[in-house]
Amino acid sequence: MKKLLLASTLLAAMTGSAMAAGDEVKIGVLLGYTGPIESLTPDMAASAELAFKEASDSGLLLGGKRIVPVRADSTCVDSAAATAAAERLISSEGIAAIMGADCSGVTGAVANNVAVPNGVIMISPSATSPGLSSIKDNGFFFRTSPSDARQGQVLADVLKSRGIREVAVTYTNNDYGKGLADSFGSAFKVGGGKISITAAHEDGKADYSAEVGALSAAGSKYLAVFGYLDQGGKGIIQASLDSGAFENFVLADGMIGDSLIQAIGKDLTGAVGTIAGARSKGASTYEAMAAKAGIKKDGPYVGESYDAGALIALAMQAAGSANRAAIQSKIMMVANAPGEKIMPGEIAKGLKILSSGGDIDYVGATNVEFNEIGEVLGTFKEVEVKGGKFETIKIH
Amino acid sequence: MSNAQRSALAFAIMAGLLMVVGFSQSWPLMLTILNLCLISSLMALGVNIQWGYAGLFNVGTMGFAALGGVAAVLVSKGPVPEAWAAGGWNLFMAALLFVLTGAAAIVAYRPIPKGPLRVLALSGIIIIGIFAIRYFSDPAIADIEAVNPTVTGYLGGLGLPILFSWAAGGLFAAGAAWIIGKITLGLRSDYLAIATLGISEIIIALLKNEDWLTRGVKNVAGLPRPVPFEVDLQKSEKFIGWTEWLNSNALEGLTASERGDLLSALVIQHSGIFVKLGYAGLFTVVLVAVLSLSVMALNSPWGRMMRAIRDNEVSAAAMGKDVTGRRLQVFIIGSAVVGIAGAMLTTLDGQLTPGSYNPLRFTFLIWVMVIVGGSGNNLGSVLGGFLIWFIWIEAEPVGVWLIDFATGWMDETSPIRIHLMGSAQHMRLFMMGLVLLLVMRFNPGGILPEVTKARTQKEIDRD
Amino acid sequence: MTDVFNAIILLSNFVIVPGLTYGSQLALGALGITLVYGILRFANFAHGDLMAFGTMVAVLITWWLQSMGVSFGPLPTALLALPVAIAVTIAMALFTDKAVYKFYRKKRSAPAVFVIASIGVMFVLNGIVRFIIGPNDQRFSDGERFIIKARAFKQITGLNEGLAIKVSQGLTIGITFLLVGAPFWFLQRTRTGKAMRAYSDNEDLALLSGIDPERVVMVTWIIAAALATIAGTLYGLDKSFKPFTYFQLLLPLFAAAIVGGIGNPLGAILGGFVVAFSEVGITYAYKKFLGYLVPESWEPDGLLQFLSTDYKFAVSFIILVLVLLIRPTGILKGRVI
Repeated sequence: MKKLLLASTLLAAMTGSAMAAGDEVKIGVLLGYTGPIESLTPDMAASAELAFKEASDSGLLLGGKRIVPVRADSTCVDSAAATAAAERLISSEGIAAIMGADCSGVTGAVANNVAVPNGVIMISPSATSPGLSSIKDNGFFFRTSPSDARQGQVLADVLKSRGIREVAVTYTNNDYGKGLADSFGSAFKVGGGKISITAAHEDGKADYSAEVGALSAAGSKYLAVFGYLDQGGKGIIQASLDSGAFENFVLADGMIGDSLIQAIGKDLTGAVGTIAGARSKGASTYEAMAAKAGIKKDGPYVGESYDAGALIALAMQAAGSANRAAIQSKIMMVANAPGEKIMPGEIAKGLKILSSGGDIDYVGATNVEFNEIGEVLGTFKEVEVKGGKFETIKIH
Repeated sequence: MSNAQRSALAFAIMAGLLMVVGFSQSWPLMLTILNLCLISSLMALGVNIQWGYAGLFNVGTMGFAALGGVAAVLVSKGPVPEAWAAGGWNLFMAALLFVLTGAAAIVAYRPIPKGPLRVLALSGIIIIGIFAIRYFSDPAIADIEAVNPTVTGYLGGLGLPILFSWAAGGLFAAGAAWIIGKITLGLRSDYLAIATLGISEIIIALLKNEDWLTRGVKNVAGLPRPVPFEVDLQKSEKFIGWTEWLNSNALEGLTASERGDLLSALVIQHSGIFVKLGYAGLFTVVLVAVLSLSVMALNSPWGRMMRAIRDNEVSAAAMGKDVTGRRLQVFIIGSAVVGIAGAMLTTLDGQLTPGSYNPLRFTFLIWVMVIVGGSGNNLGSVLGGFLIWFIWIEAEPVGVWLIDFATGWMDETSPIRIHLMGSAQHMRLFMMGLVLLLVMRFNPGGILPEVTKARTQKEIDRD
Repeated sequence: MTDVFNAIILLSNFVIVPGLTYGSQLALGALGITLVYGILRFANFAHGDLMAFGTMVAVLITWWLQSMGVSFGPLPTALLALPVAIAVTIAMALFTDKAVYKFYRKKRSAPAVFVIASIGVMFVLNGIVRFIIGPNDQRFSDGERFIIKARAFKQITGLNEGLAIKVSQGLTIGITFLLVGAPFWFLQRTRTGKAMRAYSDNEDLALLSGIDPERVVMVTWIIAAALATIAGTLYGLDKSFKPFTYFQLLLPLFAAAIVGGIGNPLGAILGGFVVAFSEVGITYAYKKFLGYLVPESWEPDGLLQFLSTDYKFAVSFIILVLVLLIRPTGILKGRVI
């Protein structure tokens, strides 16, 4: 028995280091396909897979290898199931890297218990909890969405510059919403702003009239909504407009997307918000690509997902192999300056430069630039709803 | 087939299933599943003690498991001195007033005769008490939560080794169960179910919103471990040497660079397996201890009395048994076991995420384990814990494989095939329901039904 | 005097109208739960997912109708789809009964066994709905959105505060009040209804007096499935259809049924409103409301909110637990079986 066990562990270890054998490379796409954000994840996964396909179709990746995405369910909330799914990806499917996970809770569990110990990188497109900045990740955890701490500051500045002195705040009751509400609250108060009421809302629950009632009773003219555009956040805005409670909205990144305007209509005109990314060519190129591929282009975190996928493919090329540790060592190089700037849809170009020994600076859909701990610095754009779409006003 | 044979066969099949995972997928995955199987079994055992022994329909497992998780944080995390300095004094006053209010209510209860006057007096005391407590607690909470909210913003814990928290989790859950049991155990079975379901939701709401205690939805990450970290092992000379020795056959005759590559891959893998085996060992010790205690209890006069109460409450009461008292006892014991399992789960995760507790995963799934395994049979619920967790994890890859197989004849780009492949993850819930319904239908006592001297196999088949 | 009107309108807009709507939605769902509990004697945990199933069918038919260019004037097209959706859901409910519950009824299993079987059905329906329509948010409402808008109301009345009533709110409240009487009338007046009550009171006696138990069971499922589909569709029209939300509705529904007195149709309706109004009323901040009524100098500093909205969902359970402790049969005396 012992021998058998030994033999098979050996076998697994061998495949772990030499997965690139054959003409396929597997990459895990670990997102919550079931559970609270099950409605967001299919588009996020499709977006990452779009980047993989682009790399594969170019025929340039590691001399013509194809990336095979392997989806696994993080459930968003069940750390135990997410850990098992990640373990399956790493030790059984033999993936080279993980694009994921999504919610901050399971992301922390997977990073600490599976990815870091096994020396596999994770690039999360959506875990924004400031707490993840301080995990012991040995350089294996990256995220393409900025930490909430920064956005709160930017949003507070935007409001001050517009002369808005008092807001009511509602946030989705999870680490994203709460973290953002905290950081926004402290930043806003420093400059003399006043928050008349802070009320949490739960996503996917029955009714939001109580929240709207309480928020409106506090007497502010502006309502800041830190939630998701197809979840409770939308429900709150709809209910506020329906009951005439608020007409002016302040939106955080999770709320910004054309589908919100489609759902709410012209009443949303004048709403201001912040979203990660610069007014780059990249963002609009990506949107056209996503639309063509049938992906909700403005859904939360889809651009970030594409970038996470693209970074993995590019780092692999830079490393010259699908070896896990080698990929890790190249992420910073391909993501950061110096080098030729790479936009969405230009993965082939990037692969080509890398294979000839050049250096690239991946910009992507969301203007990726990592700091020393593998987090995007977070340029935010200030947007306003004008004429039925979000228009970029200024870059912060 | 005798009962012992049946159990042995069932466990052998379960072990076989895990082996299949080990060989066809990987051993680290098998160990990950095994660890969760052990924890699930313990939770199922706790529910079985209540349902199988005493017929208590407790659908509040989630709440007790979450309390165990809180214990893990409060025991193992270091205290946050700034937070104590900021709000400690006010919090102390609030706690003091809480005790005083309780004491005043108890003192006032006796001398005032039953009736509207007593209700009025007690409500008055409680309302004044609440205002007084909030006078101190509101600023305390605000001050504590303002202390560096992205990292702390809570009081922290005691900074003790996390293994102590397993016992503490049991105590927390037992304490809550005592209060809950006192007020709800008079209810009929399905009312008790819904009351406990409601109370467990209230517990989760408290966990999510009382940030000063649990950091709420901001989660507490980075809990200490009872076993070494993989990354530390990978750096340890001793461990590398040990891996080298263990695999000396395979490493022989390779070139230096091949040898280095293989060795570093092996060290990574062995460190993972080592840590998982460490957890598995600890969990097994707890599971075996609880299991043997419950088997002993079930076969003792106490166990016979419990079953008598379960099967015929009226006659048990007529024989002078303290039905309500015994029930409370068994409710507390079962909940404590769930609390221990909850603390173990949080230890394994390395973090507390209050937002992750939902009734589907932490209550209904545990019930499926008990029913499928065999209610009233301790080994049965252990088996149920293993089997159902196994299916819960493996349903996803099997679902993908099944759909791929079933739609293999379709075109790669067929919309039906794409739609179905995209929904493969939803096979999990579907399969779980199907397993539950099929076992209940064709094997109503569960896979390992309860067998006692008084109940023959015939009776079990009839049920 | 204007201030008093303003205060009344303010409260209507933020507490009374939303409370009535949400209460109606809960009442219709709780009615189905209470009926199954009263006659089949078990707490049906699959009811939320049965609602999701019924709504899914309604959504699919609505989409088909919309693609055919059919519309229902100012009213949502989904109302046209409702009869077919109800029929399909009834078929589903009868099928689950035949495939699952009938076996345990024959064996006269304990109620807890039924409850656990219903958990199994819940899991299966959960999977089926996501398999067919996916987990996403689906919009299917069309037609007019408002009966009256807040801004228009302000202009007409010249008051400070506006009152908005949506078509879906009007429909929900109207249909609920129409349906409130129906089960009551059915159970009290018709032959089948009387048979159902007899069966519920004493199964053996009912059998002796020649009541066909299978027929009673069938009628119960038909009514429960119809109510579930109507409740689910109205709820989806008012908010939007998302399978996960319907599972979340289960707990407030049970709270409503029990608070009102489980097994009692009137109780379910009362319970729905009690739960809805306490959720909205306890978490509402009364500062502005009092601001209209009391002189300026008395105006309170705080928000006058009894409980923060964080605990909104705990409110229904706190009420539930209190009712179970003080009056276990519910506010209106429920049937205790």
